[in-house]
Amino acid sequence: MALTLPHPDLVAAIPRLRRYARVLTGDANRADDLVQDTLARAWEKRTLWQAGTDLRAWLFTIMHNLFVNQRALARRDARTVSIDDEGAGDAWQLPVQATQFTRVELTEVMQSVGKLPAEQREVLILAAVEELRYEEIAEVMSIPIGTVMSRLSRAREKLRRMAGEPPVQLKVVK
Amino acid sequence: MNTINAQPADDHLLHAYVDGQLPPGSRADVEAAIARDPEAAARVAEFRAQNALLREGMDAWLDEPIPAQLIAAATRPARAAHWRQWVAVAATLVIGVAMGWTGRDATLARAGIPTTFAREAAFAHAIYTADVRRPVEVSASDAQSLVTWLTRRVGQTAHAPDLSSVGFELVGGRLIAGNEKPTALLMYENAAKQRLTLQWRKMASGTGEAQFRYDVENGVGVFYWIDDACAYALSGSLDRRQLLAVARVAYGQIASPDAGVHAH
Repeated sequence: MALTLPHPDLVAAIPRLRRYARVLTGDANRADDLVQDTLARAWEKRTLWQAGTDLRAWLFTIMHNLFVNQRALARRDARTVSIDDEGAGDAWQLPVQATQFTRVELTEVMQSVGKLPAEQREVLILAAVEELRYEEIAEVMSIPIGTVMSRLSRAREKLRRMAGEPPVQLKVVK
Repeated sequence: MNTINAQPADDHLLHAYVDGQLPPGSRADVEAAIARDPEAAARVAEFRAQNALLREGMDAWLDEPIPAQLIAAATRPARAAHWRQWVAVAATLVIGVAMGWTGRDATLARAGIPTTFAREAAFAHAIYTADVRRPVEVSASDAQSLVTWLTRRVGQTAHAPDLSSVGFELVGGRLIAGNEKPTALLMYENAAKQRLTLQWRKMASGTGEAQFRYDVENGVGVFYWIDDACAYALSGSLDRRQLLAVARVAYGQIASPDAGVHAH
């Protein structure tokens, strides 16, 4: 049981929390609201954090739950103010950093990811970008590991279809 | 995809291989399988390419400057613990002769949140926040006494949320006369001297669902909701988005009060 949270670790986690929030909300501003809520909730729930365990996974879990709850709350009533969505629809409008080297397939894959169902997108990014272990993803999202695998598989196959015939440049140079 | 249905195990192994999550020993097996199966090799190559592109696109976000309010939210000192150490001072509390406006609307307290509540909340907000010298009866320095008093008068455990994460500090509070039930009012203020009020009263009957609703009454924005037999209203002249951000913090703390000042 922790009476406080390690501030430096919390601050260090912010960039990744913002990224995950963007993946969830699809909008940079709403993402920062979600990060703020997550940090506030983390302080409220600080006694539940086990010192020594992975702070980031714990924060991701809080964020995931907040997002899911807010979305459910927002959808319950048509008159209800949408908490996760300020009426902007499901438009995915995330920044793709434009450099002179920005390649077409980078822009394409970022747009394609936005078209995935939210739960598939979430699994894919947690695995591919955050590099969480599948068991950790299952825990963050409170789903069985089999569901993690099937969502991951569907997400990747969809991205593949959206990319059409894979262009030659897609080959990765490691 | 047919391949998924036909060979789920192999499919999962390929993903685990791509993500570097294969148990030791399985790696060589998968590599051998890929070498025999050009289709699998193509998929692995493509999944790796997806990973690389996604990382390239999303790693760029990590370098963006962090907004100050997020750093503040991460480093927030445990205010609640500080407040809980306060000794409740036995204060003589003058119960205000609140401004009443009974009979404004007869359709009070039907099922759900009466819309009159939002209107009354906006009205009270306008009256008391405009009062520069004496906006509250009990100041935040007596926060513990305040929540104890409001708990007793409203008939429901009071809770003063800590809104410092969104830049607002408690000014104090008072009791006001609702149409049927006494209404608690807490006032908050930010560095720009903008004031918010959080008001609540016990519902006449039953409990409702927690739903955020929003109204604007005479230029005052009001988010209101029901939680645990009380109707709550957060009012302010902020824009809707700002007010919503505050309302979410208040809602979250009232729903699971870990921070802020509680009644004992």
